[in-house]
Amino acid sequence: MDMDADIDEKRIQARFVTKLKPPYQIPNTSLAIPANLTRLGLSTIVNSLLKNVNPEWESQPFDFLIDGELVRLSLDQFLLTKGISAEKILEIEYIKAVVPRTEEEPSLHEDWVSAVDGSCPRFILTGCYDSLGRIWKAAGECRHILEGHNDAITSVSIINPEGKESVTVATASKDQTLRLWKIGLEEDAYPERIRAFKTLRGHTDSVQTVAAQTSGSMICSGSWDCTINLWRTDESDAEGDQISIKKRKVKNKNEESQLQGEAFSTLVGHTQGVSSVVWPERDSVFSASLDHTIRRWDVETGKVLSNIYSGKAINCLHVGGEGSILIAAGGSDSILRVWDPRKPGTSAPVYQFSSHNSWISACKWHSKSLFHLVSASYDGKVMLWDLRTAWPLAVISSHEDKVLCADWWKGNSVVSGGADSKLCISSGISVQ
Amino acid sequence: MRVSRNDSVAAANSKEKKSKEKTTKAKSNRGKPSREETQLHKSEEEAEEENFANNVKELLVDDDESQDDESLSDTEDGGSELDDEGSASSDNDQGSDDGDGNEGSESDQGSDDGDENEGSESDQGSDDGDENEGSEPDRGAEESDSSEDEVPQRNTVGDVPLEWYKDEKHIGYDIAGKKITKKDRQDKLASYLDNVDDSKNWLKIFDEYDDEEVEVTKEEANLIRNLLKGKAPHAEFDPYAPYVDWFKWDDAKHPLSNAPEPKRRFIPSKSEHKLVVKYARAIRKGLIKFDKQKEEPRFYMLWGDDSSSSEKTGHLSYIPAPKSKLPGHEESYNPSLEYIPTQEEINSYQLMDEEDRPQFIPKRFESLRSIPAYENAVKESFERCLDLYLCPRVRKKRINIDPESLKPKLPSRKDLRPYPVTCYLEYKGHKGAVVSISTEASGQWIASGSTDGTVRIWEVQTGRCLKIWEIGEAVHYVSWNPLHELPIVAVAAGRDVFLLNTGLGNEEVQGKVKELLHLDMPAASDDSGNVASSWSQDNQHGGIKLKHFKLRTLTICALTNWLRESKAILIHQLSKKVTQRLPFKLHGLPVSSVFHPTRSIIFAATKKHVRVYDLVKQKLIKKLETGLREVSSIAVHPAGDNIIVGSKEGKLCWFDMDLSSKAYKILRCHPKDITNVAFHRSYPLFASCSDDSTAYVFHGMVYSDLNENPLIVPLQILRGHASSNGRGVMDCKFHPRQPWLFTAGADSLIKLYCH
Repeated sequence: MDMDADIDEKRIQARFVTKLKPPYQIPNTSLAIPANLTRLGLSTIVNSLLKNVNPEWESQPFDFLIDGELVRLSLDQFLLTKGISAEKILEIEYIKAVVPRTEEEPSLHEDWVSAVDGSCPRFILTGCYDSLGRIWKAAGECRHILEGHNDAITSVSIINPEGKESVTVATASKDQTLRLWKIGLEEDAYPERIRAFKTLRGHTDSVQTVAAQTSGSMICSGSWDCTINLWRTDESDAEGDQISIKKRKVKNKNEESQLQGEAFSTLVGHTQGVSSVVWPERDSVFSASLDHTIRRWDVETGKVLSNIYSGKAINCLHVGGEGSILIAAGGSDSILRVWDPRKPGTSAPVYQFSSHNSWISACKWHSKSLFHLVSASYDGKVMLWDLRTAWPLAVISSHEDKVLCADWWKGNSVVSGGADSKLCISSGISVQ
Repeated sequence: MRVSRNDSVAAANSKEKKSKEKTTKAKSNRGKPSREETQLHKSEEEAEEENFANNVKELLVDDDESQDDESLSDTEDGGSELDDEGSASSDNDQGSDDGDGNEGSESDQGSDDGDENEGSESDQGSDDGDENEGSEPDRGAEESDSSEDEVPQRNTVGDVPLEWYKDEKHIGYDIAGKKITKKDRQDKLASYLDNVDDSKNWLKIFDEYDDEEVEVTKEEANLIRNLLKGKAPHAEFDPYAPYVDWFKWDDAKHPLSNAPEPKRRFIPSKSEHKLVVKYARAIRKGLIKFDKQKEEPRFYMLWGDDSSSSEKTGHLSYIPAPKSKLPGHEESYNPSLEYIPTQEEINSYQLMDEEDRPQFIPKRFESLRSIPAYENAVKESFERCLDLYLCPRVRKKRINIDPESLKPKLPSRKDLRPYPVTCYLEYKGHKGAVVSISTEASGQWIASGSTDGTVRIWEVQTGRCLKIWEIGEAVHYVSWNPLHELPIVAVAAGRDVFLLNTGLGNEEVQGKVKELLHLDMPAASDDSGNVASSWSQDNQHGGIKLKHFKLRTLTICALTNWLRESKAILIHQLSKKVTQRLPFKLHGLPVSSVFHPTRSIIFAATKKHVRVYDLVKQKLIKKLETGLREVSSIAVHPAGDNIIVGSKEGKLCWFDMDLSSKAYKILRCHPKDITNVAFHRSYPLFASCSDDSTAYVFHGMVYSDLNENPLIVPLQILRGHASSNGRGVMDCKFHPRQPWLFTAGADSLIKLYCH
């Protein structure tokens, strides 16, 4: 009895607010809620309030923000750690919880899925260790197979996701080449085999990564030969490059004439293999290398604009978030780090997320949200992160082996491929 | 009547001084006490007089003001008495100065010594004033005092015993020679009544000489008081007045004495010398002793602490024997019950070791009478004697050193980062123990050989197995070509060495590799009579196969594509497809060998020694003494001047080639055989792996400064491998570019430890 009385006594005046659209809104009144409520308790309160407004309301999980921080502890603990007074009326903003609702049937590959790109909402592009690229319309629905590489594909990139008739994609492979492909979007029933229209040669070692410029006319690639090459993707101005492959591959009878491309610029400076490149702005390329550095290059001059020393070999890199400038990178340890290059004179990361158990193989920012990240790790888990809390929002453990790649798709799904040869799609994630 | 006069000495003094001091003041001062004394003669009964005198003294000492005032008023009465007496005294004036014979009588007087002195002076005064007429005027107390000095004494009888006049009617003669008749005595009763009434009575003194009564004035009373206190008689006299140096030394032209310093002041005194000689002789003879001999204590503490007993013997190194333990309660003949062991306990003693068994088991006895003889008495006392006489007792010097301070000052591990710490990746796939691993120069690939007869190539970043060769026989050793441009793996399996094309790289690279690995059959016409290997094309694996009789290890050198394996050392030159045998004699079975990273030098390890050969000059450069039982592995620092040698007894030796042929440091780290050792190519790290399933990572900094010895710091123990068939970690190799360590275990796993 006493205990109950105690708990009853500890109450906090709170008001729930939201930026969500009308079906999610509740009357703006302050309530006295128990202080020991956790996220689940808050969620039930909001759901019951919504039910009062709309009797046919179906309960759904919510996440709660107090002063821009996600509530992960019980309410009184949260207030205590953040030093927020419990006397005032607390304003709690609720947002839809970022968790995958549905797990789609995994799409099986022949071999390890090494790369995935979901930047085009119409399909998913995957690269595989069987040296084939694949275009997936939806889960288990393979539309195109990209044939032509001689070795495992290490990285894929969709160059112009907004393309009307066809979409150009680039693939990088361990056979030291990159290939460009054109994908028609007309409906076909069976998987169509496509050959590359252009082969980009120039690297002297395995190409590890490829990234497209946002405008879509250029790509850059990083390789184990420590260089970053910049390539043009348009096919028209390939006058002198048209060389018949037949000279080299005599035995290959059904050889088609292919375009050969050469790098128009090479960025030299890394001392070890380049593991990841991003081209978020028109004139600057970000690259991460196994030599423990993250560099920002000026495309025009080929100079290094900034250099972040991380101390660990870096496997993956992505730029996005607030101001589309935050650098998220994961490396040869289990910590996902986020740097803010606008902070002068420091190379210390502004955020560190350390829930993974093994190397982080991929990290991607959500294209719309300022806060949301997805990361994949060799421990077989894909995690969703919000910058506003140090805990992962959701852990997707649908893979049975190392997860090698992950990306957002259509803004509300996470696609990931792993060493279990599966492409997993987790959809229904409501990121505003 | 006794006559009290001043003593003769005082009289003599007064005579001497007569000539010197004639100031009136002095006279007046002296006059007063003279009278004061003389009056004592008068009273008829001594008791009365003494009583009176005592009374005076007491009162004087008391020094009461009111009484002083009274005394002033009383003087007039006294004066009248004096008048009466004065007439009487004038009668017995005899006018002689000598009264020596009266000395003895003086003691009867109650007067003090101080008074006597004054009295002596008063004589002078009386002498001075001899000429004055003896007629006594009527006077008040003060007036009479002052006038008295001028007025000569009435009686001229001189200093004669007054008892001569005792029976006379006169007291002496006045200056004119007429008798001074005695005054009529007052009736005793009347005088007593007078005295009682008169409050000034205590100030009155009877002067027997002049036969009159004198009253002491206030000044005189003060004077007497001062004298009694031992002060200067006059209140005005300042005993502490500043000294006035009347003799003006400043102006003196000459010293007081102009005499030269006498010689005796410069020569040692003969008498003193004699005295000293006398003492010295006495000391020599022992007649004079300086320190008293200490008395030996006759008793000592039998049960006292022995700690100070070393003083007894002058002997520095004497160490007292430990006392035998005193008997306690359990040794009592009738100890309390709690000391008596139960039967079970006694039985349990039998199970104990003889050393641990208690020597004495307490028992109870009814009375002292019933105690049997102690059976061990002789034995124990004998042992005690042995202990006392034969046991050498040595005082051990214990040095108090903080053990922490003996540890070498090593830098903190945090400062030596990065180094491999945690295992993140595992390379799974082998079916048997992984015996050997080798990394590709860029760090992208790793090759491994296993006892299951396969050689595998793995992608380092993902842990993907890229390629598998089925060799068929257990693989001993794999090695990548250190040249990145030629991706060839050399594999030692069974008795053969295989050179395998990994198939990596583009067509250009593959073309070169294929060309290199292509063997013209006629060229390989092996004269296997003297060369222990034969070259042959291995079509199954796409490489070259070299047949050997026996094989242990092999290494590939970057410079010339030399291959080497042992049982003697053979060098295979891949570019020419030629095998050479090193022309050196190895004393012992070769265990392992490595090439110098930059020069054409080979380090060949036999079981006990490491020999360093120059391949160009074809001679032995150095022989390193390991001091180990059996060398198992060897690795060279990338600079080439330091090598580490692992042994089968778990010891790791670091040799600095510039220092000596002995090990610079021997690290005892593993409890079991060291299977392999490795240096990092760029980081200052080295590692050893052992059959105890662990790998140790060390910081091994080699300085370019020759004065500084290499710094070796143990950093990390890497665990994780499981033991299988008594074998633990079989091989360890560093990643060529990252501070990562690959370990190959007998549990068929390869692990990657990252920083």
